[in-house]
Amino acid sequence: MSFDLNEVKNVLVVDDDLTNRIVLCALLKESGYDFIEAKNGEEAVQVVENNHIDIILLDVMMPVMDGYQAAKAIKSRQSRFIPIIFLTAMTDEAALAKCIDSGGDDFLTKPFNHILLNSKIDAMLRIARLYKNIEEKNAVIKEKNLQVQQEMILTKKLFEKIVRNDLRGDSTGLQYSMSPMSMFNGDLILAERNQTSGLDVILGDFTGHGLSAAIGALPVSDVFHSMTQKCFSFVDMLTEANSKLIELLPTHMFMAMGLISVDRSNNVLSVINAGLPDMYLYRNGEIIHTFKSKNIPLGISKLTSSQFEIEMHTLEYGDRLIGATDGIMEANNPEGEMYGLDRMLKIFESTDKGEDLFDSILSSCSYFCRGAEQTDDITLLEICHLENIEFASDKEFSNEQRVASDWALQFSLDIKSLRQFDVLPYIMQAVNQLQPLESGRTSLHTVLTEMFANALDHGILKLDSSMKDTPQGYMDFYQEKQRRLESMQDGSIQISLNHELNEEGGGRLSLHLMDSGEGYDFKNTNTNKNQYSGRGLKLVSSLCTEMKVLGKGNAVAAYYNWNKK
Amino acid sequence: MSISMTVNSDNKAATMKVIGRFDFSLHNDFRKAYKDISINAGQYVVDLSGTEYLDSSALGMLLLLKEHAESHSSQVKLTGYSDEIKEILTIASFDKIFTLG
Repeated sequence: MSFDLNEVKNVLVVDDDLTNRIVLCALLKESGYDFIEAKNGEEAVQVVENNHIDIILLDVMMPVMDGYQAAKAIKSRQSRFIPIIFLTAMTDEAALAKCIDSGGDDFLTKPFNHILLNSKIDAMLRIARLYKNIEEKNAVIKEKNLQVQQEMILTKKLFEKIVRNDLRGDSTGLQYSMSPMSMFNGDLILAERNQTSGLDVILGDFTGHGLSAAIGALPVSDVFHSMTQKCFSFVDMLTEANSKLIELLPTHMFMAMGLISVDRSNNVLSVINAGLPDMYLYRNGEIIHTFKSKNIPLGISKLTSSQFEIEMHTLEYGDRLIGATDGIMEANNPEGEMYGLDRMLKIFESTDKGEDLFDSILSSCSYFCRGAEQTDDITLLEICHLENIEFASDKEFSNEQRVASDWALQFSLDIKSLRQFDVLPYIMQAVNQLQPLESGRTSLHTVLTEMFANALDHGILKLDSSMKDTPQGYMDFYQEKQRRLESMQDGSIQISLNHELNEEGGGRLSLHLMDSGEGYDFKNTNTNKNQYSGRGLKLVSSLCTEMKVLGKGNAVAAYYNWNKK
Repeated sequence: MSISMTVNSDNKAATMKVIGRFDFSLHNDFRKAYKDISINAGQYVVDLSGTEYLDSSALGMLLLLKEHAESHSSQVKLTGYSDEIKEILTIASFDKIFTLG
């Protein structure tokens, strides 16, 4: 700080009376002050403009411009604090009050006592010193604030790029609203297209708000996008995200989240609710299922993929899944009342058209809050199961072009490997490295997934698809599958992939899957038209160029032709 | 808002009572209350009977207490909670990682 206690202070003496000025100046000189004289208010204003003045002793009654006007003019023009002490012969209270009103800081009535004047000057200078101190500190804080803000803006841009979401829109069925309480947000929404062309979405809420809460979003986003793109199952992805968060976050921080996965091949919704408020499945004007939290939030305890509790429900076109973080329930109005669950559930009851649901909830909440400042982030999300969905662009094909080649891969999996891990992501990665197919990675993955499920679920585990016909059935089917997989002693699946070039620069990929099961009487199943239904093969047949059931019904071959564009 | 701490004479249990709102404002007081208390192979009891409200930062504080207790081979038990607080604890599945009773 530049302030020097021994610095000589400059006093401006303003009085039209020469004698008064001489007396005052002599006194100031004796006390060790420098001084400048002015004969009236106007002169005083001029002097203050052109000199560094520390304190002003100001007479009231003067020609040209009186003390009141001078005080007003000086205080309005000077940004720094220059104390003004009025020296006046007037003693009536109204006149003294006017001194302070017009901008004076103190007054002394004439004839004044020298000791008293000196003390008043000292006191005023002390206050001026405090003012100066505060001003200097404020300037430093202002500058630092500006720096922090600029850094925040930069970080926010980077952050948004990393946790970006470009899957929102009419064509994907996903919509959401986030109202960040501060620049960064403890809430998180991540979305990615899954292998069935449906959506996998994470709705997350970190403990706390702002930057420290947002930090955890980066590793989660990273794991989510990369593993979902590589076709890992969402439980494997969550297992990985959970261990990342345990590793990175301090003990008291965690992420409550909901994972929502829409399987478009089977029209099934899977939800893992780990610490979020209830999520609702809405159909034809009513809630048909409530997904309650059944899992520990992420970042607290080590979990294996089988420890996540998944809830499933069949989907019909037009169904809507609504999820929110606790911010919306705890949104408060100016009286401090919370919006609460009941008000939200009323909206579900009173809305007839599904399309209006999302906006109705948001507007009812904001109507309730009437602009009151919110203490938590408010995030609401809706996924609508549309009959047709479209994703803006397929960024997967930005892969550099590889020269097509001939190759073959073979995998042989026994029951232990089938139990322990999901081989499909690895096969898909291998295929993508060897030969990015221009006609679509997603559909190839769907073909492979369905063929694999056919071999495992029906061939080896002998599960009956008709179990899946009821809403509860899919869940039973899934649980039964886990149970049989654990207890099964024998079984194996052989997978062969074979790629051959064609003359036009494209190629033909053959997929051959054979299981150790008994097969089925595929020649006499149902009518010709539906001969594959119930074994997931109908979809395979519609996605690839050609498909055949072979042997005793325990092998399937699919052929996938592609051409260079 | 306040926190009181009672340690049993046998040194096998300590009870923390949280009165009022259990939220971020108690962060320091809550930690101070247990950090110098070592219950070995015993139990830390958090008495929530006087707690009106509990937010996610309180859940975080409970996890810190759990970490402290586990480093002394002790456990944490939550008691006396209202239905509303029970609901919050259940949503977070804290019944799976703490003893409720």
